[in-house]
Amino acid sequence: MVIKRRLNYISRLLLVFFGMHVVWYALYLLVHHPMLPSPLRVYQAMGQLGVGNIVVNVGYSLMRIFAGVLLALIIGLLIGLLMGRSSLWNKLLDPVVYLTYPVPKIALLPVVMLFFGLGETSKILMIMLILIFQIIISVRDGIKAIPENTYDVLTSIGAGPGQKFWHVTLPGALSVILSTIRISLGTAISVLFFTEIYGTEHGMGFFIMDAWLRLDYPQMYAGILLFSLVGFILFLLVDLLDYRFMKWRK
Amino acid sequence: MSSSRNNGLCVKELEVEYKSGELALGRVDFTLPEHGIYTILGPSGSGKSTLLRAVSGLLLEFRGELLFNGQSLREQDILIGLVPQNYGLLPWKTVKSNIRVAMKIAHPKGQDRRSQEAQIDRWLSAMGIQELADRYPLSLSGGQQQRVAIARAFAIMPSILLLDEPFSALDAITREALQQLFLEHWQANPTTALFVTHDVDEAILLGQKIIVLPSNKRDAPEIIDNGTVFGLEHGEKRSSDAFFAQIKRIRKVMQAKW
Ligand SMILES: Nc1ncnc2c1ncn2[C@@H]1O[C@H](COP(=O)(O)OP(=O)(O)OP(=O)(O)O)[C@@H](O)[C@H]1O
Ligand SMILES: [Mg+2]
Repeated sequence: MVIKRRLNYISRLLLVFFGMHVVWYALYLLVHHPMLPSPLRVYQAMGQLGVGNIVVNVGYSLMRIFAGVLLALIIGLLIGLLMGRSSLWNKLLDPVVYLTYPVPKIALLPVVMLFFGLGETSKILMIMLILIFQIIISVRDGIKAIPENTYDVLTSIGAGPGQKFWHVTLPGALSVILSTIRISLGTAISVLFFTEIYGTEHGMGFFIMDAWLRLDYPQMYAGILLFSLVGFILFLLVDLLDYRFMKWRK
Repeated sequence: MSSSRNNGLCVKELEVEYKSGELALGRVDFTLPEHGIYTILGPSGSGKSTLLRAVSGLLLEFRGELLFNGQSLREQDILIGLVPQNYGLLPWKTVKSNIRVAMKIAHPKGQDRRSQEAQIDRWLSAMGIQELADRYPLSLSGGQQQRVAIARAFAIMPSILLLDEPFSALDAITREALQQLFLEHWQANPTTALFVTHDVDEAILLGQKIIVLPSNKRDAPEIIDNGTVFGLEHGEKRSSDAFFAQIKRIRKVMQAKW
């Protein structure tokens, strides 16, 4: 039953994928201009790139996202935990989060570049900045939503703070954390694109803009497709984590 | 029970007040001998859960004293098995790993992995739930969750076992089956146990003594000796004269104090 449903879902995805190419091809016939090459041309261009080239660019982008997400998770988890478990820290930090939350983080890009240069640091920091406020807030609320008596049995047999965090707080807050990551991932990928325009010769953002400047449209589209693949892989990963750790909800 | 006066759990003039200054638990005073089992009977709000929270160390502010074998309970490293009113299972862990986690925390330097797993399997089958081992608590019925919570409490082999209305959410038939099951396993491993209930029959079936908490917290609790019923075969208790005599006696106390 489950396998059948999954197959069903995958075949629907493939159908949509195929349908999008049909639309693309129709548009290509309609527009009839080098700025919109046919799907076939674009896949040929992708083929010419060579595996090594693709792996390096996709790899750089994925690495930056991973580093940014990981950093945001670690710091967000710590601050969120502090705010969720101690009302004093919550009172202190809540206004800070409240005031900084609506600041459009992408507007901070020039500031981050000024302070941290054009290298990897500023790219990773930008992704972290996009995610961290969401994560702080959702971790805090996720932790507060865990009923206090969930800890009782472990407390009564003498569990320490580390054990309580690992067995109760973290798994209890995980579902909110995962859905926050899922929601913020789209923004994080867009920001990644911006940060890859400067100061690097690797990554999908660089690749797309480079092809654009060289007026190599098939390669530009190949880059856009690969960039979408990066996004798809990331969403798949979050879904896998969700499947692995959220089984208990059903 | 030929234990000396010092042996067992001594609850000495215990009284709990929440911040408001209102009594949550009126003064109780009793000594539960080691390897003995008492039931605590009381109306809703009389402080039954509060009493267990104090003994289990979840509630640290109270008047009076808690001693185990003559020494302060908190200052000793005494393992306490708790079956809370809401079962207290971690929803994100399977039945098996709920028990495993508790065993690991209770006995950090405990047995090797293999014998620990064997122990878990033993308790699961003792409670008749071995086929639920890999299920998650949210997919279990109330009665099944009860069994898991009890299996977990027994599996950690505590020195004191505290049960908070463990059978209250069950239908009469399941409840009787679990009462018998519980008593059998308690008799095989007689842990010092406090069993909270608001069911008169259950209090008489399971306790060597019955502590009846009053609804007015200024009144003293009544402690009723139940040895005559407790000594009978479990299957014969309900039809015995002693059982009916106890019911009458407790009803009288209830009329006066509930
Ligand atoms: N956290 C709390 N803060 C303030 N008052 C509380 C708290 N917990 C319980 N109380 C009060 O303490 C009293 C005893 O509560 P307790 O939960 O011990 O009753 P109980 O006998 O277990 O009732 P039930 O049979 O409904 O479980 C009640 O009056 C309750 O309102
Ligand atoms: Mg209660």
